[in-house]
Amino acid sequence: MEAINVAKVLGDGPAQVRALKGVSLSLRGGELTLLMGPSGSGKTTLLSILGCMLTPTEGTVHVCGNCVSGHGAEDLAKLRRNQIGFVFQSYHLFPTLTAADNVRLALDVRSTRDKHAMTKANEALAKVGLAHKTKSYPRQLSGGEQQRVAIARAVVGNPSVILADEPTAALDSENGKAIMKLLVEIAKDADRGVLVVTHDPRLVPYADRIIHIEDGNIVREQSREGATQLQDILERA
Amino acid sequence: MPLVFTLAFRNLFHDRLRLVATVIGIVFSIVLVMVQMGLYLGFGQMVTTMIDHTSADLWIVPTGTKCFEDPSLLDTRQRSRALAVGGVAEAIPVVIGFADWRTPGGSSTPVFVVGSDLRSGGLKPWNVVEGRVESLSTPNAVAIDRSYFDRLGVSGLGARAEIRQQSVRVAAVTSGIRSFTTTPYVFMDVDRARAHTGVPSNKATYFLVRVAQGNSVDAVRQRLSSTLSDVEVLTPAEFSDRSRAFWLFGTGAGAALFAGALLGVIVGTIIVAQTLYSSTKEHLNEFATLRAIGSSRKYIYKVIICQALLNAVIGFGLAAMVGALVVHLTASTALPIVITPALGIALFLLTIVMCVASAIAAIMKVTRIDPAVVFTR
Repeated sequence: MEAINVAKVLGDGPAQVRALKGVSLSLRGGELTLLMGPSGSGKTTLLSILGCMLTPTEGTVHVCGNCVSGHGAEDLAKLRRNQIGFVFQSYHLFPTLTAADNVRLALDVRSTRDKHAMTKANEALAKVGLAHKTKSYPRQLSGGEQQRVAIARAVVGNPSVILADEPTAALDSENGKAIMKLLVEIAKDADRGVLVVTHDPRLVPYADRIIHIEDGNIVREQSREGATQLQDILERA
Repeated sequence: MPLVFTLAFRNLFHDRLRLVATVIGIVFSIVLVMVQMGLYLGFGQMVTTMIDHTSADLWIVPTGTKCFEDPSLLDTRQRSRALAVGGVAEAIPVVIGFADWRTPGGSSTPVFVVGSDLRSGGLKPWNVVEGRVESLSTPNAVAIDRSYFDRLGVSGLGARAEIRQQSVRVAAVTSGIRSFTTTPYVFMDVDRARAHTGVPSNKATYFLVRVAQGNSVDAVRQRLSSTLSDVEVLTPAEFSDRSRAFWLFGTGAGAALFAGALLGVIVGTIIVAQTLYSSTKEHLNEFATLRAIGSSRKYIYKVIICQALLNAVIGFGLAAMVGALVVHLTASTALPIVITPALGIALFLLTIVMCVASAIAAIMKVTRIDPAVVFTR
């Protein structure tokens, strides 16, 4: 996934805001990338554009080599279901469906409705450590467990990119760590890139690369080592 | 089970109170339509019951006759001319008219006299439960329906009363021959009917034609039409249609029934649309999530339409039960509600169309959904 010189203007007239001002970045397979920045920096707007939910005012986005500019809403939806898995801050599970059905839903929208769909859903849940909770409803699961179900839903269709929006923000530190470990495992697949949007510096050690965004611009890009060193210096100071 | 169905089912049953409100709305609407259309069919059957129970190939009626109860008269010379037409086996006179029935207690009530040549059996009472049709040939004999005993002030077979100051005796009792005008039918011999209604002996209301074996009804009809003047020659189906059209549309009764049915459809559509819309609005976040994870619009529409169809099936099932009860309760009334299999199927299709049409507002709401809201909620 690659964004080239992406700009986005939101709103009209006096309320108009230039949320992104020419951002370029790429996600590589086998890497977990953190997109960090303060509130209002343009993280969510960039995530929406990378997730093919919002079209940029300027610039282009390529997903698996295909330029998504000019695509209609249905084409973008097709791209999302085939290439992108999403993990949301507030999980967005379906309260009336079991954990297994929530995961199976990601296959169902891909028109994968064979007898193996349920097996695949159960396997995905087993990989996130919820083999024993397949029949539980979201209200019967803890926050951490719900986010695991969301991760299982994101990966079950085997997408090439996982976009996670503040996946640990609603969790305690233990559950947050567990979720990040899962995402690190998922990012080990050389054919899959993971982008985690966060403002939590505790997630830095899990990243292969950290991109900092401020006021709609990418201000810095670091490796994990560089970021960790900088964090140590800041903590000592 | 398809996940679309599971999702629709769970969405629907998630809020039971709303489901109950929706189902009540559908049941109310469909029962209203069912009753109106059932009345329409029942009324349609009632107004043609005499024609439908007559054994005739053709009816000779005065020109311009609008319905069976029309009191215009034919001259019996027309009968002689009809009998002279090739292929006519019989031309049975029928005399009808209103008369005054005086009960043994002295009170009086209007009745509708139906007289026919009973030997030919053109228009004789049916569903006879007491006495015999043949006994109507005996002096003063009449047949009445048992549902009118109280009105006519009689207690059954052998009871006596007066019509036009002439004595009559109940010689046969029928069951279920009710008049939509609520005026009781009184069957008797044609000559006695003339005497009781004041119709001259050289007049009759109709002639029932029976075509001789081996002759085409159409050909005989054409010959009769060209031979007779100031009359119309109708098939029983045509006369039924004409009577039905007069009573249902000439009087506005049918329009009122249809207006009631239309009202039912409108009310039902609005109720279902409102509840489906609010349900969709409540689940908007989930639909946005579906859209975000890449579902097509078609997939989401399927969920909403599936919800609408579930509403339709549940609502119609309950409405059908209420309808069956209403049919049972009105079966022996003056105006029974009739629900034919065709009407049942039509109502089921109407329920489905109504519920799916109700989904349009919800679908329009979902169509405008922005999947990016999942990042901000």
